[in-house]
Amino acid sequence: MVARRRKRGERDSEQGIPSPPGYSAIPIKFSEKQQAFHYLYVREHRVREGTKSSWPQKRTLFVLNVPPYCTEECLSRLFSPCGPVQSVGLQEKPELADSPKEPKSKFFHPTPIPGFQVAYVVFQKPGGVSAALVLKGPLLVSTESHPVKSGIHKWISDYTDSVPDPEALRVEVDTFMEAYDKRIAEEEAKAKEKEGVPDEEGWVKVTRRGRRPVLPRTEAASLRVLERERRKRARKELLNFYAWQHRETKMEHLAQLRKKFEEDKQRIELMRAQRKFRPY
Amino acid sequence: MGPAPAGAQNRGAAGEPEVMELALEGTGKEGKKESSKKHALAGSPVEGFLQPVKLSRAELYKEPTNEELTRLRETESLFHSSLLRLQVEELLKEVRLPEKKKERIDAFLREVNQRVLKVPSTPKTELTDQTWLPAGVRVPLHQVPYTVKGCFHFLPPAQVTVVGSYLLGTCVRPDINVDMAVTMPREILQDKDGLNQRYFRKRALYLAHLAHHLGQDPFFGSIRFSYTRGCHLKPSLLLRPHGKDERLVTVRLHPCPPPDFFRPCRLLPSKNNVRSAWYRGQSPPGDGSPEPPTPHYNAWVLQDVTLESHVQLLSTVLGSALGLRDGVALLKVWLRQRELDKGLGGFSGFLVSMLVVFLVSTRKIHTTMSGYQVLRSVLQFLATTDLTVNGISLCLSSDPSLPALADFHQAFPVVFLDSSGYLNLCADVTASTYHQVQHEARLSMALLDGRADDRFQLLLMTPKPMIRAFDHVLHLHPLSRLQAACHRLKLWPELQDLGGDYVSAALGSLTTLLEQGLGSRLHLLAHSRPPVSEWDISQDPPKHRDSGTLTLGLLLRPEGLTSVLELGPEANQPEAADFRQFWGSRSELRRFQDGAIREAVVWEAASMAQKRLIPHQVVTHLLALHANIPDTCVHYVGGLLDALIQSPKETSNTGEEALAAAVRCYDDLSRLLWGLEGLPLTVSAVQGAHPVLRYTEVFPPTPVRPAYSFYEQFRERASLLPRPDKPCPAYVEPMTVVCHLEGSGQWPQDAEAIRRVRAAFQLRLAELLTQQHGLQCRATATHTDVLKDGFVFRVRVACQREPQILREMRSPEGMISLRDTPASLRLERDTRHLPLLTSALHGLQQQHPAFSGVARLAKRWVRAQLLGEGFTDESLDLLVAALFLHPEPFTPPSSPQVGFLRFLFLVSTFDWKNNPLIVNLNNELTVEEQGEIRSGFLATRTELPIMVIVTPQDRKNSVWTQDGPLPQVLQQLVVLAAEALPVLEKQLMDPRGPGDIRTVFRPPLDMYDVLIRLSPRHIPRHRQAVDSPAASFCRGLLSEPGPSSLMPVLGYDPPQLYLAQLREAFGDLALFFYDQHGGEVIGVLWKPSSFQPQPFKASNTKGRMVMSQGGELVMVPNVEAILEDLAVLGEGLVQAVEARSERWTV
Repeated sequence: MVARRRKRGERDSEQGIPSPPGYSAIPIKFSEKQQAFHYLYVREHRVREGTKSSWPQKRTLFVLNVPPYCTEECLSRLFSPCGPVQSVGLQEKPELADSPKEPKSKFFHPTPIPGFQVAYVVFQKPGGVSAALVLKGPLLVSTESHPVKSGIHKWISDYTDSVPDPEALRVEVDTFMEAYDKRIAEEEAKAKEKEGVPDEEGWVKVTRRGRRPVLPRTEAASLRVLERERRKRARKELLNFYAWQHRETKMEHLAQLRKKFEEDKQRIELMRAQRKFRPY
Repeated sequence: MGPAPAGAQNRGAAGEPEVMELALEGTGKEGKKESSKKHALAGSPVEGFLQPVKLSRAELYKEPTNEELTRLRETESLFHSSLLRLQVEELLKEVRLPEKKKERIDAFLREVNQRVLKVPSTPKTELTDQTWLPAGVRVPLHQVPYTVKGCFHFLPPAQVTVVGSYLLGTCVRPDINVDMAVTMPREILQDKDGLNQRYFRKRALYLAHLAHHLGQDPFFGSIRFSYTRGCHLKPSLLLRPHGKDERLVTVRLHPCPPPDFFRPCRLLPSKNNVRSAWYRGQSPPGDGSPEPPTPHYNAWVLQDVTLESHVQLLSTVLGSALGLRDGVALLKVWLRQRELDKGLGGFSGFLVSMLVVFLVSTRKIHTTMSGYQVLRSVLQFLATTDLTVNGISLCLSSDPSLPALADFHQAFPVVFLDSSGYLNLCADVTASTYHQVQHEARLSMALLDGRADDRFQLLLMTPKPMIRAFDHVLHLHPLSRLQAACHRLKLWPELQDLGGDYVSAALGSLTTLLEQGLGSRLHLLAHSRPPVSEWDISQDPPKHRDSGTLTLGLLLRPEGLTSVLELGPEANQPEAADFRQFWGSRSELRRFQDGAIREAVVWEAASMAQKRLIPHQVVTHLLALHANIPDTCVHYVGGLLDALIQSPKETSNTGEEALAAAVRCYDDLSRLLWGLEGLPLTVSAVQGAHPVLRYTEVFPPTPVRPAYSFYEQFRERASLLPRPDKPCPAYVEPMTVVCHLEGSGQWPQDAEAIRRVRAAFQLRLAELLTQQHGLQCRATATHTDVLKDGFVFRVRVACQREPQILREMRSPEGMISLRDTPASLRLERDTRHLPLLTSALHGLQQQHPAFSGVARLAKRWVRAQLLGEGFTDESLDLLVAALFLHPEPFTPPSSPQVGFLRFLFLVSTFDWKNNPLIVNLNNELTVEEQGEIRSGFLATRTELPIMVIVTPQDRKNSVWTQDGPLPQVLQQLVVLAAEALPVLEKQLMDPRGPGDIRTVFRPPLDMYDVLIRLSPRHIPRHRQAVDSPAASFCRGLLSEPGPSSLMPVLGYDPPQLYLAQLREAFGDLALFFYDQHGGEVIGVLWKPSSFQPQPFKASNTKGRMVMSQGGELVMVPNVEAILEDLAVLGEGLVQAVEARSERWTV
């Protein structure tokens, strides 16, 4: 495998690096020491007319196959020769309709361990994208001037970062809960206001908070009601009363036995195939 | 079920057969299994999996025929269930002799008969003059003393008849033996031939001559001597056909005297037929002391005499009743699986046949019964009747001249008289053997009454070799020491009786001695029966000492194992002298707290592991004291595997004490939590959720006290940090504890908000614990780490309603329904299932003290095979728990060693495809519920993981195996277990010592595609490796435990961090295997499926590159870059990446 790969590597240098249609490939490696390259596949970020995207059109470069040791700062540094970079977003999968980005709390949403990711690099000017598309590379993630930590050093710094700061956590919890309490209070006030007030068609919403609470609208509650009904009906039913019913139960019993017998036969067949009947 | 197994796709790519070696041995099979699953959905029958049965309506409801009804009725009345009936029928078909073979055997027997009758006669000579024997044959008997009166000449036999099981049709495969009685003509024998072994000498000479003549006949493939049922005075001649039929049958020739030659009254058990004067070569003592009786000698003569009458009796009873014959065949299989039927004093097939006859005669068995019912009745009889106390007799006559049962009880340990009333059929059976039979019968009866589904498998198909059945085993080797033991034990009369067989002579006394000495520690003592040897006719018969080793098996009582004291009688009692005599110098006078002064023996044992091995001390002491057997001859196999679960520095215990210390500390902590003042909600329950707290952590934690100079100090957060310039610090794993709070309506209704409130609780908890109890704490959003007495606990606050809130879904109509989501399942597992399981297993440990040892050995082994990370900790613990809760057909293990062997057996034989493993914790599941679970399992098989473990708390989902193992990993474990078990058993059963016990713990590395070698400097648990390194690095701990004001480094294990990165980055290209206990190597296996060239897809470019293949652009993994990434990601930790490219090519 290795030998053939190397041969092809030589060929590549003559013909240019193969890339899927619409993309261009940029070789990237960790540092000078490494021999082989990974390839970033980049194209301009485009979405269909009408769909929203959180990344600006024309100015965004879509990058596939970003190696795990490559951070956002690192990408921003690597692409800055093409033009000033505004921001870099790294995520696990390419997503078009990007979910609304909330600033995630570092305490409650720890950053996952990175694998191979995709990146959206937003340049300040559209020219950056076109420059990036013809970038030859090879790019180096870790250089002497900008070393990137990996291995033991990275784990130690990760561990250091993970030692929590209780004060910051407390502050965050307090602010969140204040906001939450406020929101809930508002919602309740709104609900209270609407209580008993008919809407434009004249319907009144009955809630649990009213003077006479009603059954909660949950699946469990409705299942309970159905079950009660079923039992009531079953109590009234007559079993083994008519001759045909009697005959049918007997037949049913026989059918059960037959079915069991078939099952057992199959089991035996299987055991025989596994030579389970040789006591030696 | 995880990603699709590799094999399936590989199979599809037939064009490139050598794309990749199959990922694992047996992957191909797995692949088939997987594809079969897909087929199963399509409804076509496939191999290996049970399919739900589909019968058409017409078939189900057609009118039954008469035969069908009879069969159904019969099944109901004669067997337990139709499955059992089918299984029994299938088994009988397998062990029965096919008709075709029978014909060939019959032809062979006719030939034998003719040839035996044609052997020429010889002239008359003195018995001591054996010069007439030709050179090529030796007398198959030890003639000690040599001189004996009488003459011998050979005459062709008066009669040759087939006797035994072949005639009755009850012989079972694989060893088909046909017994032929060769009646010696009356002229050969003389009047007093019953005396002084003269009859046996003649019998041996007769056989020697026969052997010589038949040996020259090219018709026979092999002619050898053997002992009849292991009895040293009675050789028999084995004849096997020539050529390809050699393995077909063995014909055994037994010479026997003409009927009515011996007078039975001369052969009563109280009579002497071996004179001391002759045997010991002394002149008669003359003091008038009576000659000692020779009951065994007499019985052996009688056995020859009654050979034919027994066959007649058996054939009249069994001949007409098929059910009885089936029953005997089943019983033979049953005995065989328990290794009870072979050797001298074995409970042979002949004995059970006679037992069946006895039960028929007492109307306990009816001739119309089915084989299964016969088996059941005989087991029931054996389980409830102690033949060592109440003998039975087939003799119906009430002749007063017949000897009484009591006479036989005096002479023999086990009594079962034949129809003549003179012969004890169980003459050679020792009391221990019979007790073993009884024990097995009791277990089997319990099994038949209890378990519903797999009793056939457990009863008749599961072998119970000694090493797997008994907790401890000891070998006596060499056997020649027993000769001295016989003299020490003053067993001369027995030697005289048994013709010098000192092994059998000593056996009875030794077992009684050990049984008495082990007392309350012992449940059952069994001994191996010396195997029946075969030898060439030109050789001398093997000596007693060559008959292998004597192996004793001890089944221990766990409750008796905890005491180190053997309490004797009070010093002034007369029994005290006996006690002193029994225990010798070990017995001491001691004064007890209640004021009593008693004789007592105290054994040295500080730890649980040592206490488990007290029987070793007892056995060696007693054998040396009473039988003159030095401890160099006693090879005790009981704690050999302990070394693997001992902590690297402590070798005196196996960690039970350290675990108990950790659990005590946890108990203290939970008390502190309960009593905590100032929390908005009080603590309602504290539950452990960590392997340590259920005693199953392989290496228990030790209290830590870090040496500050070794670390970076982070004073403002009271923590220590690892330093890059030092070796990796010691690994400290926090023990998870779940803390439930009292219920409250104040919790918010929103998942995000609940997390914030929980975080607030964690902070408050840390604050209060520090304030009120001065404990070092560190709070995060999800847990609080607490340092207490050097142990670190991770307290997680749980909110009861949280899983439910995570499950709530609102349908468009506003209906709130509950649906499981991954997050809710995870939370429920961590806060509900895990604590429940932990407490249940903690309880199991209290019942079965060996649980901890077995679980830890098992886990150690799985991890040492690099497969540990494929299995959750809990799933392995449950597997081990199953060994204790469902030990059938064994008893719950009382030593780690036997438990581990059974673990290997369970893993290697359990059919995961078609069965869930039901672990009935606390016995909460009824038999009916188990049946429901099984049928439910079959119906939903395709949605369940490959390995399904059901507990009372988790009846459907198999929580602990949802995320693994992959089918390939499980298959690999099965293969490895199947290989390890015989190797290990052979090592343990080797009387010369087990050799290197760690062999089976070393993983095979040749199957991996890439090996990543790690630097020991950064492996914190390096010392725990199977082959513990002689030197390792300092890990920054002070040897004296003490308080520390800074939190030690928690959960920092570079290999694990590295593996997590690797799996995240390359998880869909390769599998990674590693032994977390100090492994120095990571094994990497490429997934063949992901090496198939694939078309370009934006979502699937991870680690791949585009290349043109045949004009098309396809994606393949960028292997060279990945190999370099392996080194980059593990910088500092990785020493070398060995790509074993000979294993794969593109």
